[in-house]
Amino acid sequence: MRFVVKRLLLFAAALFGVSVLVFAALRILPGDVAVVMAGTNATASRVAALRAEFGLDRPYVVQYLDWAGGLLHGDLGMSALTGRPVATQVGTRAAVTFPLIILGLVIALAIGLPLGCAAVITRSPRLRGFFHVLAIAGGAVPALWSGLLLLLLFGRGIGVLGVLPSQGFPTDGWSAPGRAFASLILPALATGIVAAAGIMRYTRAALEDIAADGGPVDMAMACGMTRTQALLGVGLRLAAPQLVSVAGLTFASMITGVMVVENLFALPGLGALLVGDVGNRDLVAVQSELFLLAAFFLTLGLAVDLAHRALDPRLADDKEDR
Amino acid sequence: MSQDNGAHGAAGATNTTQKNETTAAANVASTDASLEGRAKSRNPKNGGKPKWWLWSLIAVIAVVALVVGVNTYFTNRQNGTDGGATVSGGQADTVSIGLKLAPVNLDIRRQSGSALEQILIGNVYESLVSRGSDNKVHPGLAKSWEVSKDGLTYTFHLNGKMNFSNGDTLDAEDVAWSINELKAKKYYNYDQVRNLDKAEAVDSQTVRLTLTAPDSNMLWYLTGRPGLVYDKDATWDEKTGALGSGPYTVESFDPSDKIVFKANPKYWGDEHKAKTGNVIVRFLPDDNAGINALKSGDVQVLSPITATLAGPFRKNPDYVVKSGDGSDKFVLAFNMTDAKLSDKRVRQTIRYATDHEQIIASRGGVDAELGGPIPSVDPGYEDLTGVYPHDEAEARQLMKEAGYSESKPLQLTLTYANVYGTELGDQLKSQLKPIGIDLKIDYVEFSTWLQDVHTNGDYELSLVDHAESHDFYKWATPDYYYHYDNKEVQALYAKALAATTDEEASKYLAEAAKIVSEDAPADWLFSWRVTIAYAKGVEGFPQNLSQTVLPLWQVTYTPSK
Repeated sequence: MRFVVKRLLLFAAALFGVSVLVFAALRILPGDVAVVMAGTNATASRVAALRAEFGLDRPYVVQYLDWAGGLLHGDLGMSALTGRPVATQVGTRAAVTFPLIILGLVIALAIGLPLGCAAVITRSPRLRGFFHVLAIAGGAVPALWSGLLLLLLFGRGIGVLGVLPSQGFPTDGWSAPGRAFASLILPALATGIVAAAGIMRYTRAALEDIAADGGPVDMAMACGMTRTQALLGVGLRLAAPQLVSVAGLTFASMITGVMVVENLFALPGLGALLVGDVGNRDLVAVQSELFLLAAFFLTLGLAVDLAHRALDPRLADDKEDR
Repeated sequence: MSQDNGAHGAAGATNTTQKNETTAAANVASTDASLEGRAKSRNPKNGGKPKWWLWSLIAVIAVVALVVGVNTYFTNRQNGTDGGATVSGGQADTVSIGLKLAPVNLDIRRQSGSALEQILIGNVYESLVSRGSDNKVHPGLAKSWEVSKDGLTYTFHLNGKMNFSNGDTLDAEDVAWSINELKAKKYYNYDQVRNLDKAEAVDSQTVRLTLTAPDSNMLWYLTGRPGLVYDKDATWDEKTGALGSGPYTVESFDPSDKIVFKANPKYWGDEHKAKTGNVIVRFLPDDNAGINALKSGDVQVLSPITATLAGPFRKNPDYVVKSGDGSDKFVLAFNMTDAKLSDKRVRQTIRYATDHEQIIASRGGVDAELGGPIPSVDPGYEDLTGVYPHDEAEARQLMKEAGYSESKPLQLTLTYANVYGTELGDQLKSQLKPIGIDLKIDYVEFSTWLQDVHTNGDYELSLVDHAESHDFYKWATPDYYYHYDNKEVQALYAKALAATTDEEASKYLAEAAKIVSEDAPADWLFSWRVTIAYAKGVEGFPQNLSQTVLPLWQVTYTPSK
């Protein structure tokens, strides 16, 4: 229990730190939304008027308190440029990005886990070598390139086997679930394949460590399991906490990693939103979006930590003994 | 291998120990037997491994088969609906157009950017007079007009029975109100019509504008944002929606994705009535994404298409590729207040040293050379490319006079926005190097350029695409970021504005433009000729000026069978 409370306090402190950091870092950027809005024909007085309209002429401390105060009420603010609430904007984009990431992660796990296990189970040195090369090669492929290849293979109108939509998200979003899902398959494969290589390597390493450690796997075999059974039934169970960490990290890194892929497939996701808002110096929107992302990363970390303790009771004992 | 043997050995050892326990019960013995049997059947060198392989293989194949199956199904279904969505003549009721630049919002009264004018003016909002693809003034909401002899009074006669898309009547009251609001609230481009004093509704069909001084640009400016007419009785979210009197209404808008237009069922006119029921404009900032979208049929038109990538479409009979004239000028501006660049010889050197032909060739060879500040579609245009022809010897000579050489180069920094690609900067750098100019490239975000160069005027060389038409005033405004201050040019420009005939105005503008070009406050790298590509069967997409004037009402698509 104490661990959970401590962990939560740390979480809150980190959120506060992130909010200050994000706010300060964005003020270093030259230019502001008023200049962008006024454009290349603008007179100085027009820019000044817009700046006053957006409250950009107030001191930074006031601007920060204004924003942070809103955050405490769960109000992420309004985008100065689009005039829509930031929460709505993030929501619509997340409806593309998160399904994409989850699908990508499922693909990564579906490919990475079995291959990682197979790499340990196999005894032929040749096959082991093959798995090794596969993991390294897979990890070295940039998602942009795998995406292009997939487009050339499966993209409708472009590919050899043009069966999948290659560009954009359906006009009506998830109200046409089939088409929405179909438009995410290629991007998810592009990200998933690359992430799978990472998961495969980690799975292999974790399983091998446990097998080399001897104890549990040997014991299981001593009790009558075959090596494969022991590795999958006991070894994998022991490796689970490590794998959960890796899956969590992969998930987190995918949030930023999918931005390139979103761009390639012209998907209106979080990446495009963030890049566009930074370019337009819509700082209230950018800082809220970054804050949300950071909060999400932190929550993920928290969830992984708590999952560890649920998966591995020994961890709880260790901590409380101390 | 040793590990493998160990594992096997351990299993064997288990069996041996248990067998030695002769007192074991019968059921234990049977477990032994079955274990032994399994150990044999799971001989690691034969049966064990391949099964794993087999399972993963089957799983992968099953997943792939499922995915392909599901998608073939959806693809077919989707194609089916697409095919069904045609009207009797075979003409599609939806046309999808891919554009590169997206407006961040739809607030045409406050937000800058020609992307906004391109998609909204003439489509959703209508202006008092309209602009054609010839860059000339045509009747709009006003069917005719008169200008008084002294050029100070404009009288517009409106079309009868006009209304907004919400059903509200559009009459002279709305026109006068819209123009007066522009002046009072200082909306975007209000300063273009600074000579306009007030607008009055004489009766419900007649509007009178009074000017403080004659302005030969007035009518042309009224085709743009200053002449737009809004419903004074309605309110709407101006950033996310648009309410006008045009042939289309905005169904939905997402700056990162698309804007969806629907034909306005209450449109007042016949001439500009929408020919296609739905128009989807997709925003495709990535060049390759645009190409893919056109190839796969997600869009029927791509405008602009990068000229260097248009080759395959030119060869393909299913597509039409065209390049059109526009008002985009790629201006390499020299900061006139900078100590190094206030030396005219240095500025002239850069103009002589720049090889425009090479730059244009590397961009696909469709752009036009431009020797001065006025593009070919604007009044006052003259071919000024002969003022500073490409001449390396002359450039070297001038540099020598100014005291620089290749061994003792002049250091200059070029600041430009990353939206234009790195090639332009690299080309300029390599062209200027042998002349004795060491060009440093500062490649920045567009917002940074706006702040540092445009707002603060803090730069040496700058490169930007000035897309606006009729923007010669920038050379007659010394506090614009060019910092170009020439009394003669300002006097000529004033005369051009005061002129009461177009010919007279053009004459003064041409004279002023020539002086500007000779003074070399900038080099005009090229006039961007926009290349567009569309599928065969698309009709009515304008060839010229489509970056600012895009009349969607005339666009149709008839898919070939």
